[in-house]
Amino acid sequence: MTSPAASISSREAGTVARRPGAGVVLGEPDMWAFVLFECLIFASYFIIYMLYRMADPELFLRSQEHLSQDLGVANTLIMLTSSWLMARCVQAAREKKFEIASRQVVLTLTCGVAFVALKVTEWSMKLREGLGFSTNEFFWFYYFLTGIHVLHVLIGFVVLAVVVHQLRSPERRSQEIVETGATYWHMVDFLWVMIFALVYVMR
Amino acid sequence: MGTNVESRLRAVWLALVVVTLISWWIGSSHGHQEFRSSAPITYAVLLIAAVKMRMIVRHFMEVRHAPDALRRLTDGWIALLVIALLAIYSFKLSMPAV
Repeated sequence: MTSPAASISSREAGTVARRPGAGVVLGEPDMWAFVLFECLIFASYFIIYMLYRMADPELFLRSQEHLSQDLGVANTLIMLTSSWLMARCVQAAREKKFEIASRQVVLTLTCGVAFVALKVTEWSMKLREGLGFSTNEFFWFYYFLTGIHVLHVLIGFVVLAVVVHQLRSPERRSQEIVETGATYWHMVDFLWVMIFALVYVMR
Repeated sequence: MGTNVESRLRAVWLALVVVTLISWWIGSSHGHQEFRSSAPITYAVLLIAAVKMRMIVRHFMEVRHAPDALRRLTDGWIALLVIALLAIYSFKLSMPAV
């Protein structure tokens, strides 16, 4: 693990000096250990979902029909955009453009809030239609997967708030913490990509 | 912002948006009909998801600059996950009824 200062100087040249194979991870290696751990957990959720789905594919298809593809796509576009903004934040911070960096995190957070608001709207629509957690196995998985993902987004809000707090004051600025926060947020993004494919789109 | 990095990030984001819209189109081109089981749609959608995850990992999470071990781990995870999901789907493996 490098100190924040060393990490900034090794990355400062950014666009010029960093080449594939340079062997630097984005942020704290500990966060990467956590990301890999989460990958294992979510992979098992996805595989269990698929095993249950294949036990009764017709039920899953008929239930899936009740979900709004449009809301699913909107959620995906919001999540992807938030991830892009966060990547821009990391780059801006690396170039010491802290004002810009901090604006990108606030925009990332805004996308996150929109994501959660959309999810809550979707859940309440489904519940009004009488489609709840215990309706059938598809909806059990739907609420479980989207719910646990939203929980990760909410934790992400705390992470992003720490990043904003770091960027706002010169004494606290640490490139490593900015990058560690970004690593977490991108994980939330790519996990959603798979949930979207499995729950909304596949047939 | 360094224009190179900025335009690369923008290109990645744009590509992600485009492939998302493609999976939307694949998914909704049959939307006026009843939802039917379709292996081509499922294969396309899961492969698109794999490509999207890899783009996020490679470019946004900067794994292309990371040590080889992490590159292999993340690629391996994505590949294994999608192969496992497609195998379960193709061979209709399922939870034994309890």
